[in-house]
Amino acid sequence: MTAPLTAEAVRATATTAGLDFSPETAARIVTAIAPALAAFAPIAGTLPLDLEPATFQRVQRQEDGE
Amino acid sequence: MTLHSPAPARIDDPALLSLTEVAAAIRARRLSAREATEACLARIARAQPVLNAFISIEAEGALKAADAADAALARGDVKGPLHGVPLAHKDMYYDAGHVVTCGSNLRRDFVAPVTSTALQRLKDAGTVRLGALHMVEFAFGPTGHNPHYGPARNAWNPDHVTGGSSSGSGAAVASRLTYAALGSDTGGSIRLPAHFCGVSGLKTTVGLVSRAGAMPLSQSLDTVGPMARTVEDCALLLALMAGADPADPTCATRPVPDYGAATRLPLAGRTIGIPESFYVDDLDADVAEAMDTAIVLFAQAGARIVPVRLPDQPPLSAASTVILLSEAAAFHAQGLASRPEDYGDQVRARIENGFAIPAVTYLEALRWRGPALAAHLEAIKGIDAVLAPAAPMPAPTIAETDLGGAPNAEAMIQRLTRFTRPVNYLGLPAVSIPAGFTNSGLPVGLQLMGRPFGEADLVTLGAGFQRESDFHLQMPELP
Repeated sequence: MTAPLTAEAVRATATTAGLDFSPETAARIVTAIAPALAAFAPIAGTLPLDLEPATFQRVQRQEDGE
Repeated sequence: MTLHSPAPARIDDPALLSLTEVAAAIRARRLSAREATEACLARIARAQPVLNAFISIEAEGALKAADAADAALARGDVKGPLHGVPLAHKDMYYDAGHVVTCGSNLRRDFVAPVTSTALQRLKDAGTVRLGALHMVEFAFGPTGHNPHYGPARNAWNPDHVTGGSSSGSGAAVASRLTYAALGSDTGGSIRLPAHFCGVSGLKTTVGLVSRAGAMPLSQSLDTVGPMARTVEDCALLLALMAGADPADPTCATRPVPDYGAATRLPLAGRTIGIPESFYVDDLDADVAEAMDTAIVLFAQAGARIVPVRLPDQPPLSAASTVILLSEAAAFHAQGLASRPEDYGDQVRARIENGFAIPAVTYLEALRWRGPALAAHLEAIKGIDAVLAPAAPMPAPTIAETDLGGAPNAEAMIQRLTRFTRPVNYLGLPAVSIPAGFTNSGLPVGLQLMGRPFGEADLVTLGAGFQRESDFHLQMPELP
């Protein structure tokens, strides 16, 4: 998911959640979250198929010897 | 549980004792619970008009509970290690029958139906409730601003922020209004106010302390933890709260270590990593100086100091932000749809941000968490903790951070939380310790970032540092 975020896309996503964002609000949201999405972009889309979120607990508790 | 710091023979002002000291003094009946409670209430009455550290002050109930604690003690009935000790906590810990505002307008009249596990365990240890502490609305912000209750103010200079979201906890502990306080840390909300206010704060490993009955913000990142004058006091509270809880199935079932004993271990033989980059880049001069001083102090006390090359940190911060915004938006979707006017501008704007995160991106951020933690653990192999600033700067002013929902607000938030968010993403523990002061008298804190469930190592290092320094003993003048 590395496509750049646009205000139009934000408005469309919000509509599916039952929210009506003004163009100004959508533009503000793009400004706010674009840096985080850009910084995560090198990771996004590169993860192997078999990787589950629960891997985190496994790594965490292996470290602990639990 | 044994309390190892004896109370001083002469008690001039009970409010100035540490948590460990006051608990020992009450148990030894050298101080009554009423005297301790009255001392705190007197300071609260003076400080509250300036600092705004409390959302509610419950003097009558506190004195009644203190008298009951004294009567029980006179009968030889000791409820627990904190018998008769007055405390106040961040106003997000449900306490059945009490209003718990969560710093919000939406919950201004919300009466908690249950008591949170963490709070119940402290109540079972004998604590007395002083009231409820200020916090950022729904714990969603790092400054201490709150449009519904006004900003909490820094005890060292009321023109400056306390940090947040555990804003009242930082201000009240720094000013000696409460002996300790619960905070919560989802993106830095314990470590930032600890740093800005000059107190000790312990952000716990995800899964160590039950979150049942604690207001949720982000279920993957939320952690419960103590803030206190000393690391020893944090260890005392942690020992009481940690451990499995049927009401929170995400809580680990591992045995709880003896954190009190860990505070008495020597620094010699311990290994502290110093990051080669990121955490040492673009620091305010006072923060850099505190870092240098702490490294010397740890080394002189026998700790081994080694450089450490951590994995790239900005993607960790970004993943943390993706998860936080997404999960907070889900928790608040109904509230935002039905009562948007009840949210402050900044929190409403940040919740709105979460609706724009693609679901696949959110899940990718969760999926990457395991490999990211594994890479971090590989990088810190042989190291007990990584020493780093809690933030690149000391407390900014209230005026310069009062941005509400402005377009540049998120950038300010990201700047303040730059050094705290990676720890939240990795679910690691970290202890924040006072480590210096700026030329203008504002505190500077550092964080020691540990291994999963490595709180015992952190309190060894933090308490050891506090045996070698006196930054944690400094306190601001009461307004």
